[in-house]
Amino acid sequence: MRATLKLPSARIAIGILVLIAVATAFGSALAPRSPLAIDPGALFQGPSPRHLLGTDYLGRDVLSRLLAGTRLSVATALEAVGIGLVLGAPLGIATVFTGRWLDFTANRLADAFMTLPNLFFAIAVTAALGNGLVQAMIPIGILLAPHYFRITRAATLEFARAQYVEAAALLGASTAYLIRVHVLRKVLPTIAVTTASLTGAALLSVSFLTFLGIGVQPPTPTWGGVLSSDLNYLNLAPWAPFIPGALIAITVGALNALADAFRDRAGAGTLALPEFLVAGPPARAAAVPVPSEEAADAA
Amino acid sequence: MTALRDAPAPLLEVTSLDVVLGHGWRAHRVLSGVDLAIWPGQIVGLVGETGSGKTTLARAIVGLVKPRAGHIAVAGTDVSRLGRRALRAHRRAGHVQLVFQDPLRSLDPDLTVAGIVAEGLVIRGGRPAAEIRSRVVAALSQVGLDEALLSRTPGQISGGQRQRVSIARALAVVPRLLICDEPVSALDASNRNYVLRLLDELRTSLGLPIVIISHDLSSLAGIADRVAVMYRGEIVEDGPASQVFTAPAHPYTQRLIASAPSLSKPRLSRRDRKDQ
Amino acid sequence: MPPDPVLTIDDLRVTVHHGAAEAVRGVSLSVAPGEIVGLVGESGSGKTLTCRAALGVVPAGCDISGGSVSFLGEDLGCLSGKEWERLHGSGIGAVFQDPASYLNPVLTVGSQLTEALRVKKRLSRRAARERAIELMGAVGLREPARVYHQIPAELSGGMLQRVMIAIAISGDPRLLIADEATSALDVTIQAEILTLLLRLRDERGLAVLFVSHDLAVIRELCDSVAVFYAGEIVESGPVDEIIARPRHPYTQGLLRVASAGDLGRRALEVIPGQPPAVGAPIAGCRFADRCPVAADACRAGEIASSEIRAGHTVRCIRAHDAELVAS
Repeated sequence: MRATLKLPSARIAIGILVLIAVATAFGSALAPRSPLAIDPGALFQGPSPRHLLGTDYLGRDVLSRLLAGTRLSVATALEAVGIGLVLGAPLGIATVFTGRWLDFTANRLADAFMTLPNLFFAIAVTAALGNGLVQAMIPIGILLAPHYFRITRAATLEFARAQYVEAAALLGASTAYLIRVHVLRKVLPTIAVTTASLTGAALLSVSFLTFLGIGVQPPTPTWGGVLSSDLNYLNLAPWAPFIPGALIAITVGALNALADAFRDRAGAGTLALPEFLVAGPPARAAAVPVPSEEAADAA
Repeated sequence: MTALRDAPAPLLEVTSLDVVLGHGWRAHRVLSGVDLAIWPGQIVGLVGETGSGKTTLARAIVGLVKPRAGHIAVAGTDVSRLGRRALRAHRRAGHVQLVFQDPLRSLDPDLTVAGIVAEGLVIRGGRPAAEIRSRVVAALSQVGLDEALLSRTPGQISGGQRQRVSIARALAVVPRLLICDEPVSALDASNRNYVLRLLDELRTSLGLPIVIISHDLSSLAGIADRVAVMYRGEIVEDGPASQVFTAPAHPYTQRLIASAPSLSKPRLSRRDRKDQ
Repeated sequence: MPPDPVLTIDDLRVTVHHGAAEAVRGVSLSVAPGEIVGLVGESGSGKTLTCRAALGVVPAGCDISGGSVSFLGEDLGCLSGKEWERLHGSGIGAVFQDPASYLNPVLTVGSQLTEALRVKKRLSRRAARERAIELMGAVGLREPARVYHQIPAELSGGMLQRVMIAIAISGDPRLLIADEATSALDVTIQAEILTLLLRLRDERGLAVLFVSHDLAVIRELCDSVAVFYAGEIVESGPVDEIIARPRHPYTQGLLRVASAGDLGRRALEVIPGQPPAVGAPIAGCRFADRCPVAADACRAGEIASSEIRAGHTVRCIRAHDAELVAS
């Protein structure tokens, strides 16, 4: 994990995400002006010292609206990812160790859910559950679960077949022990990678839903909502949509970059022969010369 | 050693074992009618080439493979058809331990040597940490490894040391029978002899019967009391090592011995011409 | 006048890790036409790297830092990529330990052999196919016409290695380099492959450079042997001579340790200690720490090779005394 942080791409990504996290936690407090304060005399202004990112069609400060909207957008995206993780990952690990029927059923369920078009499903469920962003993220979460399931299951399969797991089973280990001691630690990097990239996907879904006006009532600010209203007045303020658009893009980009950095590192976590200097043709693990031997090798 | 062999009941008794692997049209018989008995204090060499079924036999004995027919009895108890819970209890008792061929694969790269060797005891449970630690140190010293290795991971020690850690893991639970699957094939000649000597000492000091599976006859020549030769799922010859090596009865055994590269017998090229 | 050697390696030096350590330290050997030369040593001793230098395929990070390799009198150091391509297969062939990883798993072995023939010998498709079946028979594959249409997964290790040998000799090379070619095979199959190599040498005058960690295998196959230790050749000469009268303490240790082949009960010997790390800077003899007869003079300066008998060279200043230690 530490090695990941050395990559410049990871550092930039984490820097961006830290800023977003701060905005999520303290957005409303940090906003210079009230996000709801309407100022009819200052419509469609460009960036100025008073309004760092300009004003929207009602004279509201764009920076304040975006800061205030960060919490709603990001928190609900995290909610969806959380639901997906809790539903999908444990099941993905468990099906590797259980009988064939559960495995079969879980896989077919995952297949079924993966075929559903995300946003239509979300809209339909919102219609049923009531129009709220929190409610809208539940179906998104459910739709993320199969991805978690698939990816976690694939990673677990790889490690569950390892000989050291077999060796532990031969010592009488229960399935719970095998997962807890041997498998879980090795699957976590995969889950971390998946979480980073799916958070980006969830954030896009939130933005799209709020763009369509689903889940939020005006004047509650969200990133997608700001983008949507900006697009309505494109002829009057052509620069305006770039700001929320860039914000969404940069955040999702940072999440994906972080996921990539994790992924590159996760592949390097396997046991590498320490002194495999002379890389000849693939030989089976012959005795490798090691700098020093603690115990004498002969009686 | 002969006195021990007169003990009436064998520790391990395999009777008419049939094992079929694969399903449907892919199913093929890997073991046919295998009989094998091991008494305390013996080192038995199990020799066979690829496809002989020797590894499958080892896996069947420890319950990783279910037999189609036949019985496997450990200290009198039939273990060939145990249910999951009973099998787990039997494994926790630690009667039969298996040492795998490749320590790179059979040792968890994320655990320390201490964690690896202690695993059997931890799984068994019910012992204070201090006692587990002292038993781990004892097991390591039995294989000639120092306490200083306790905090290292498999990636930080040499191939020979890894294989010894693998043996120590098996010894920590005080087994009554040790099965080693090609324990020395991945080691160079000097390390190989060291580990074989070690197994010899364990047999002598603990009276521990050991089954050594090998494709290499020469490594067994130094220490096996008995040799069983497998070919295509059957045991074709089983007898005292000195007899099998000097006067092999079965043609396959004869061929194995004739093919083994030698430093003293006439060279291949001359042997060929001799045959012609 | 003895014929010119097929391969001459002169004071070869190879560094690894981008020059950080010298893994091959002044290795010299030669292979005469039709001679089978064995290289024996533990892993990390430099024998594989020497072969790779002879093939021009040293791994990334490794460089030839000194000495030269010549094939049929031609210095290989200054060959271009295209010239190496011409040499591979038609001048020098190679087989390695794990044949399955050198074959395309989805193509039939026959088609892969045919492809090699078409590239190396520029044969038409039909001629190449016929020649391929012929070659497969020549390397001892029964029913070559049937095996032709099989994919690697359907063949055993021994058969795959025969296919690899067929591909390696398809260009009619003068030299075959076999790096641990039989180490992964069952002992009965190994014996067959060794017999095959001997037959190829007898029928085609093929010279072979055979690398192994197993001294007994080398003795079965080779005419002469070079013993590698820590990047140097410590002893070399005719194989019967070396086996009967080893002069270097390491060679003597290897013989004590090696499979005696008589399969009687024997004491299992070990060579105490471990070889030095690759490229470790050591003053004097690199085996001194493990040597039963090491003296102060052994650690003083570089030890040179000396010829103690015709064709038998040793890199040891205690070679006369070592005779006393030999069992």
